[in-house]
Parts: sequence; C-alpha cells; structure tokens
Amino acid sequence: MTMKETIDEIRKQLNFEITKFNSLHELDQFRIKYLGRKGIISELFEALKNVPADQKPSLGKELNELRVYAQNLYDENKYNLESNQSSHTELIDITLPGRRKWIGSLHPITQTLNEIKSIFLRLGFEIASGPEIEDDYYNFEALNFPSDHPARDMQDTFFITNKTLLRTHTSPVQIRVMEKQQPPVRVIMPGRVYRNEAISARSYCLFHQVEGLYVDTNVTFSELKGTLVAFAQQFYGSDLKFRFRPSFFPFTEPSAEMDISCFLCKGKGCRVCKYAGWLEILGCGMVNPNVYKFVNYDPLKVSGYAFGMGIERITMLRYGIDDIRILFNNDVRFLKQF
Amino acid sequence: MKISLKWLRQYVDFNITPEELADKLTKVGLEVESIDYLGSKFNNFFTGQILTLTKHPNANKLTVCDVNVGDSHVSIVCGAPNVAVGQKVVVGLAGAVVPRNQHDAEGKPFELVKVKIRGVESNGMICSEYELGLGEDKDGIMVLNSNTIVGLPFAEFLGLNDIVFEIGITPNRPDCMSHIGIAREVAAALKTNYKLPEVTINESSSPVEYSAKVIVEISDKCPRYSARVIKNIKVQSSPKWLQNYLSAIGIRPINNIVDATNYVLMETGHPLHAFDYDKINDKTIIVREAIDGEHFVTLDGKGRSLTSGMLLICDANKPIAIAGIMGGINSEITDSTKNILLESAYFNPRSIRKTSKQLGLSSDASQRFERGADPNATIYSLNRAAQFIAEIAGGENLKGVIDVYPKPFPPTLINVSLQRSNSILGTNLNGHQIIELLESINCEYRVDEKQSNDEDIFTFQTPSFRPDLEKEIDLIEELARLYGYDNIETKMRSIIKFTSNSIQTDIVDEIRSWLVGRGFNEIITNSLQSKELAYLSSSEVVEVMNPISKDMAGMRTSLIPNMLEVVRNNIYHQTKNLNLFEVGKTYLKIFQESENQKSVENYKEEEKIILAKSGIANFPNWAENERISDIFDLKGEVEDLLFIFGLDKYKFIPYSTTKALVDMPVTIEINQIEVGYIAKVQKQMLKQFDIEQDVYIAELNINILKSLSKIEKKYTPLPEYPMVLRDLAFITDKVLPVSEMQETIYKAGGELLKKVEIFDLYSGDQIHPDKKSSAFTLQFLSEDRTLTDVEIEKIINKIVEAMKVAHNAALRK
Repeated sequence: MTMKETIDEIRKQLNFEITKFNSLHELDQFRIKYLGRKGIISELFEALKNVPADQKPSLGKELNELRVYAQNLYDENKYNLESNQSSHTELIDITLPGRRKWIGSLHPITQTLNEIKSIFLRLGFEIASGPEIEDDYYNFEALNFPSDHPARDMQDTFFITNKTLLRTHTSPVQIRVMEKQQPPVRVIMPGRVYRNEAISARSYCLFHQVEGLYVDTNVTFSELKGTLVAFAQQFYGSDLKFRFRPSFFPFTEPSAEMDISCFLCKGKGCRVCKYAGWLEILGCGMVNPNVYKFVNYDPLKVSGYAFGMGIERITMLRYGIDDIRILFNNDVRFLKQF
Repeated sequence: MKISLKWLRQYVDFNITPEELADKLTKVGLEVESIDYLGSKFNNFFTGQILTLTKHPNANKLTVCDVNVGDSHVSIVCGAPNVAVGQKVVVGLAGAVVPRNQHDAEGKPFELVKVKIRGVESNGMICSEYELGLGEDKDGIMVLNSNTIVGLPFAEFLGLNDIVFEIGITPNRPDCMSHIGIAREVAAALKTNYKLPEVTINESSSPVEYSAKVIVEISDKCPRYSARVIKNIKVQSSPKWLQNYLSAIGIRPINNIVDATNYVLMETGHPLHAFDYDKINDKTIIVREAIDGEHFVTLDGKGRSLTSGMLLICDANKPIAIAGIMGGINSEITDSTKNILLESAYFNPRSIRKTSKQLGLSSDASQRFERGADPNATIYSLNRAAQFIAEIAGGENLKGVIDVYPKPFPPTLINVSLQRSNSILGTNLNGHQIIELLESINCEYRVDEKQSNDEDIFTFQTPSFRPDLEKEIDLIEELARLYGYDNIETKMRSIIKFTSNSIQTDIVDEIRSWLVGRGFNEIITNSLQSKELAYLSSSEVVEVMNPISKDMAGMRTSLIPNMLEVVRNNIYHQTKNLNLFEVGKTYLKIFQESENQKSVENYKEEEKIILAKSGIANFPNWAENERISDIFDLKGEVEDLLFIFGLDKYKFIPYSTTKALVDMPVTIEINQIEVGYIAKVQKQMLKQFDIEQDVYIAELNINILKSLSKIEKKYTPLPEYPMVLRDLAFITDKVLPVSEMQETIYKAGGELLKKVEIFDLYSGDQIHPDKKSSAFTLQFLSEDRTLTDVEIEKIINKIVEAMKVAHNAALRK
C-alpha cells in the first residue's frame, strides 16, 4: 500500500468507527487511537520522513487534512454526546411557558400620532405646540374668522368666558408660531381640540389634530399637493389614489380637502367610505394673505400652505373602529389590541 | 342643500349621468354628499289601461286581462274583484319590486317575474294601493283617474321621476344656495351656458305708489327694499307640479302664495316675503330697529322678546316681521287673504346673523342673508314671484315696483397678477386662460379699467351674487378651482431650509415607550369632568360656560379622578391587575380675567404624567407566588424612570396631607424643586369610585422634568482601580427612616464612599421588639490608587461612630 492509499483507507475507517462510539469514554479511545501522541496519524507523520522528497509536499498536505478531519469528527461527536448527557441528567419540561412580564401598550391615538409625526419629521418639519385654553383672537379672529361671520358656525365652541374658549382646532398655534418666528417656518402642531357637540358614536367632545404649516418664499399649491401626497403614500401605502377638491376654510385660500381611495374596498365602495370609494383624510390650503397681516408677514414676499387632520378619524379608519367613544373608555382588553 | 335634477335642467343642458354630474360638482367644491333617486322604488311600474277581460279557463275567481302599457299589450292574470274594462291602472312588469306583499303577514316586498298561473301566462301584476305602499286599501286594484296618460312610468305619474342631490355648501358660497346658482356652476364646469327664466308681468294701470309706501330708517342695515302689491288673488293649493318640485327638495307645500315665494327662493336664492296687504296699517312699511323689550309673535307661533339693534319690518304702528329672518302671525297669508305686499330686500349680513343668533332663530331666508344675498337680485326675484303668483293665484300686479335703494353698491373691481397667480398655484397659466376661466363664472374682464400698461395685471368686475370675491386671492382660488385641482402638478421642493440643528426628540415620547416596555398600558381620557371632581384637587378650577352636561362642566385639575374611573371600569370587566399611565394636561385658573390682560395668561396648563398600579405585582406564572403590589413597586418604577432620564439626584420626602385623595404621600424633589408625588389612594376615595383593591399612583410634572433632564450625555472614564465592598448592619429604633441612616453614612464616609445600598431589613425574634436591623452594602473607590484595608477600616470606624452619635445605632455583628 502506498502512503496515499493508506491515507484514503484511514479516512474511510474514521467514518466507520466514529459511529461505534456511544459514550464519552469510548470516544476518548477513538481520540487516543487516531489523534494521540502515539496514534495512527502521528505514526504516519513519522513515516513521511521516508517518502521521496518530490512526494513530500502533497502527501504532507493530505496528511494534515486527515488530521483536521479526524479532530473535527471527534469534536463534533464529543459536543453531541455532552449535550445529550446533560439533558438526561436534569428533567426539564420545555413545554412549560416562559416567565413572562406585563406587556404594555401605547394608546392607538398615540401610535397614529407618532407615525404621522415621524413622517413629517423626515420631511423636515419641526414640532410646535400651544395652549388649549385660547383667546378668541387666536382661535378665530387672526385666522380670518371675523366675529358675526357664519364660518364660526362650522365649529361649535366651548366658552370659558366671553373671549376665552377651548380651542376648536390646532390652527391658533399657527399664529403663535408665526408671531415668534420669521419665515421660513416649517412646523407640525399636534394637540387636543374641543367641539361642543353631542357625544355619539361619531363625535366626541374632544379629539386630537395634527396641524401643519410651511411659509417660505415661493411656496406653491403644487408643492402642498406634493407634500401631502408624499405623506399619504408613506402612511397609507404608495398604491393609493388621491384627489384634492375645493373646500373652504377662512384661514386658507385656495382651500382643499384631500381624499384617498378607500383602502378597505380599493375604491369600489363599502360601508366605511359610505359607498363613495373615497375617504376624506385632511383639510388644507394656501395660507390666506389676511392671516399674514395679523402676524406682520408680507404677503407679497412669502407664501405658504397649511393643513390639518384629525387623529381619531384616521385611527378609526385604520383599525376599523366604528365608535369613537371606545377610544376614551380605556378598556385594557381594547388597549392591548394595539 | 337639496338640488332637484329636473329643476336644474330648466336652466342648463347637459348630457352626462347624474353620477358624472355629482363628480363634476364635487370637483369644483360643491361636495355631493348623497344622491337620492326619488322614484327608484317604482322602476318597472307603468300606468296602463285594461282593454279586454276574459275568464280564466281553470280558475273561477281569476280574470285574464289584456292591458295596454303604452308601446305594447301584456296579458296579466288578476284576482281583484273590481277589475273592469277601460280602467286606468298601475301595472308592475317583470323586474318590478312590489313594495308590499298583500299575502304576506309582514307585507314584505317581492320581485315580479313572468309566471304561469294555472296554465295561463301572466306578464305582470295590476297593483292595489296597499301593494304600492300608497295606502291601506287591499280590497281591489288601484284605479287611476280616467284622463291618466297610458304608458307613463308610474314614478313620473306621481311626480317622483326626479333625482335629488344633497350638496354641502360651504359658508362662503351663498350664491350656490339655489338651483340657478348651481346651474351657473354646472355651466362653468361643463363649459356651457345657462339661461335665466324670462319674466314678463302683466301690470294693471294703477301705480303701486298709490297703494303702498316704504320708509327705510336704517339704510345701512337695509340697503335695499323692493316691493310689489298684488291685488285680488285667490289663496288655494298650488298646482301639483309646483308641489312636486317643493316636495322633492323637502319643502312642505302650504298654499299657492307661500309656495310661489319658496319656489323663487329655491330657484334664485333670493328670499322673499309676502304680507297680507290688508293687515298693513296705513299701507306703510317702516324698516326700523326694535326697541328693547318689544314683543313679537313670529310665524312659528312663538313669542319673541326683542332687543335694540334688531331690524324690524313694521307697518305704521306695529312690527310685522323680523327683517330677513321670519314674518309675523299678524300679517300672515291666510285662506282669506285677498291682497298681498311682496317684499324683496337686501339686508346687511352681520345684522341678520347677530339677530338670528340672539333669538336662536334661523330660517332659509336668514341663512342666505347672513352669508350675503345679491343686492342686485331683488327686482328680478320679485318680478319672478309676481309672475308666478299671477299665473297660479290670479290677481293683478299693480304698476311698477317700489324700490328704496338710496346708495347703490358700486361694482367690485379686482386686479389679478398673472405672475402671482402662477407662483401661488405652481401653474403656468397665460393671460387668455385667466380671462377665459374667470369669465366662465361671470367675472367681467375690464380692459377699460387697466391702470397701467402692466402686462401682468388683469382687472375683473365680479358679479354681485359673489360676495366672497373681494381680493386678488379670491380670484386666484377661483382660477385653481376652475382650472381643476387635479390639473395642478403634484411636486415637492428639493431643497429645504432648516431652522434648527437637530431633529427634536421629545422626552415625553421616550417616557411613553419606556413605560410600555415596563408593562404599562397607556390611557387617554376626557379633560372635561364634573366640577365636583375638579374641585377635589384644587380650588382654581376652570369652568365651562356652556357645557354639554353637568358631568363636563369643569376642566380636570388632576389626572387622578379619571385614572380611578378607568381602574374601576377595568376591574368591572375582570381586568384586575393594572399597570396604567396617562400623559395629559391639567388646567388651573390662576387669575381672574380682566379686560386689559391677555386672557390666556390667566390660565395655567401643565402637562403631567400619571402612573397607576393595582393588583398583582409580578406577572402570574407557574414558578413564582403571586405578590400584591405595594407602594415600593410603583416607587421603583418611578426611580428607574427618573434614573433613565438623568434625574438620579431625586429625593423622596414624606408629607402629611389633608387632601381627600391620598394616603402616605411622598413628594419627589429634584434640586429642591417639587417634581411630583407617589401615594396610595385613600380608602374613602376608592369607596367613592367603587374600587375594592388598593391603588397606587404617581403624578409627575412633565414641564419640570423636561427642564431638569440632562439633554447632553457625556462620557465618564471607567475606574482604573478596584472597587471595595463592605457590608454593615445597624440596629436602631424601628421608627428611624432608612434614608436618614443613608445620609449619615454618606456624610461620614467621605468622598471615597461612592454608594450605600440597603440590602436587608430585619425585625423579629433575634432583636428587641422596638428595634430593627438595617444592612447596607458600601462601595468604596478611589480614582488614583488601590484602597488598602487599613484605609477602609478607618472610614468604617468613622461611619459606625457617626451612626452611634446621630441615631444611637449599634453595629450588628
């Protein structure tokens, strides 16, 4: 037998013999036999000295590989035997449940708000806030709702005194921000707002809004559309269809309402979209130049857009919630679903 | 506002479906909220005539009828006893859904199909009143008037062949609160024309001035008052067609005079009022302001107490109408009315709105006047109504109109910059497009008014029915609307200027997610609550002037009551182990409001966070025993929370309180500033909320946390020398607070003592009953050397001595 043949033979032998060792003790015999200081492989290395010089490199390499192979076989089997052994000594019912902890949850309104905030933060908006107990001036007057104007009927108001009220929208924060800061202004303004409406499945005495405002040089309606479509695609999915239709808000002109194709029925018409195929998701428009007068901006130099959306509405649409009151009941069985 | 399609078609032609029309209207800002197909339940029902009758070959009580239904004859098997040749009847053909089944106990609807009845084919059904849902008569088929046209769709016969759109009109568009108004918009949207009905009036030779006089005392509140007198009319029901029009849009027909004014109101949008001429004293109309305390009974039969400033229409000695809002019973049109005075005026919008608000009285008329009617429409609408009344109530129109219009409104001229229009909209409109678009809504391009040779500026005269068009931006909005929002490119800017150097992170968001990780469920509750609850925690309650109910008449001063309500409700639903938190504001009224102050500064809104724990502390599992939460569970949460936000210099200071809410309260202080408290809710309070298990709460002020929390994080090098640990246990009086011992140990330990932590607390058999043993682990560390046992021993001796002096504490060996 040449040395080459011997090596091949031992390799086969290894594969066969390893299967016979079923205990750590037996496995140690295997190690001594092949890998020990006086083992078969060591002996072969000894014999390598007598091989013709031209064959030495290639045979040496093969021999090395054989040793590594044997070592790996040994290690692997040792590991398997050891882990088997430990599971035999201690009986563990692994089907028992793990030691769990209480699992918390963010309120669905917060989750929706967080997502909206993170999208607008990525679009370069900052966050601003303002008081809920507001002056008539900020809530109406400076937003171009003159007193005795029918537009005030659009928002039923809780009054604290004749000129102090619970804000009916987050838009007064626009005025507060613009009073303090010169353009460019690029902010979103989340917050709680109040409406003096009877409580029902569809309306609550308060809800949350996110207002947005961007004032700079050459801000266009076209860009308003672009920004809100970018938002809607990130929030609702890039395959949605959208439309903007003219509407009226005293503090924006032109004003629009943005609809997206109903994500439940894909625009075919269902109960949620009232068979219209469209869902109204926000109001928006170009800041009315009358508003700039109240904050000392020059309407000939700057332009801007504003938008606002109701968090409860969006949350309800997203999760298929059909009664707004459940959001404020705080039943843990409800909260844990989110 | 309801708009009838049939009615609309009088003024504008179009070849699109109702659904397409709804879409067009919505796209120009007239949102169609619903479409009501009035006659749809009578699809496949027609008027017919029975031509011949033959007996059914196989059934005694049945007849086979040959019925003419217009363009064809059908054979129908009928069982009605009253069927007779020549009768005009209602026929339902295959596909028709009969509203009520006479042979079904509940009268459920059913669909007609061609059938064979005992071997004879029947192609439909001749219906009874009951079956059609038009009456309760089941005894035979419904027989129509003999002059009925055969072959009419039954809905058309009933005047129900109409489609009604419910349109949401925004408050800036009073001009759209009429059929002509909508027709104008349809014409603009479809690039076609609309036409106004022609008005011709046959007048008598007697001039109206001889029969009536109008005096307007307050012309700024009533800039225009036009009137006509019509004599010898006959008050009766309106013709069917007029009633149908009104019924379709939800207006109840009353009599021909009232119906005619309502029709013209819904047609032109201009409110009219008819007075019984013979009840006008001295035949004089005086438009004046009310006197405080004046009393008046409006048409709805309600007495109204008037105040000065309200505008009235009066005769020589009494009010006969509240201007622009509602007429009075004393001059109402009745069946015996012979002569009428027809009013068509223009009132100041603010004045009308103010009076309407004060009286809590709103009408179709006031809604239009307060949004802004058309001062130039008074005569047209007046004549249109006069023409109608002459047609349907007879009578003679006296010659001419009374028209008090001392200061005619000048036309509104608006300059539009092409460049600015494009730069606001992001469009590329040219001058021709601007003119074409604005002319389509009756704005007149006034090249004669051009101020300069500026190519960029276009001057338009706006129509007087558009009070919302006042400024350039109003016309730019019209351009956008008419050009189509869909046609404006959707794009974003590629360069954004930032005003601050980082994305803001909100500590509140971080606290929230941290708490969620610790197993807390977030709640959000109403900030309005009953005054009783609000006054529990403070006397500075913000009260709502016009609350929905007593339960919501105050604003919360603490987050505790809402939290307890939520705890209660959850326990009620068997969720008894609760870890809850809420981030929300509390509201205080800190000053009385005075005129010269900014009113908002009288109120204080503080953002707070409340944590509540109740029930079992550890999540129930098979390996450990359940343990009921105590105050240290919640205290631990709070301590960890403060630590996470870099607020590890906190102190807990017990205090006693007389407040009704809490037991064992501990104030949390950081740098001598009170941040909040932790406490157990008082038994009395729990009882009030029907809660039978202990509840622990912590309330922290977020504004203060924000101002204290370290924003910047800095790296501290790790120690190079080993830390030395020593355990010491002291026996002291039971009542001695551990925090005091810790303070003494820290003080005596000096700067090498880095940390003192209690690891065991013992009282029991091995020591005196009034004593306790407190065991501490002390950590020693030096930044510049390895500490020796001798050094440590020295410090420990100092500590033991200090403890002895300060607390009479003995070292426990």
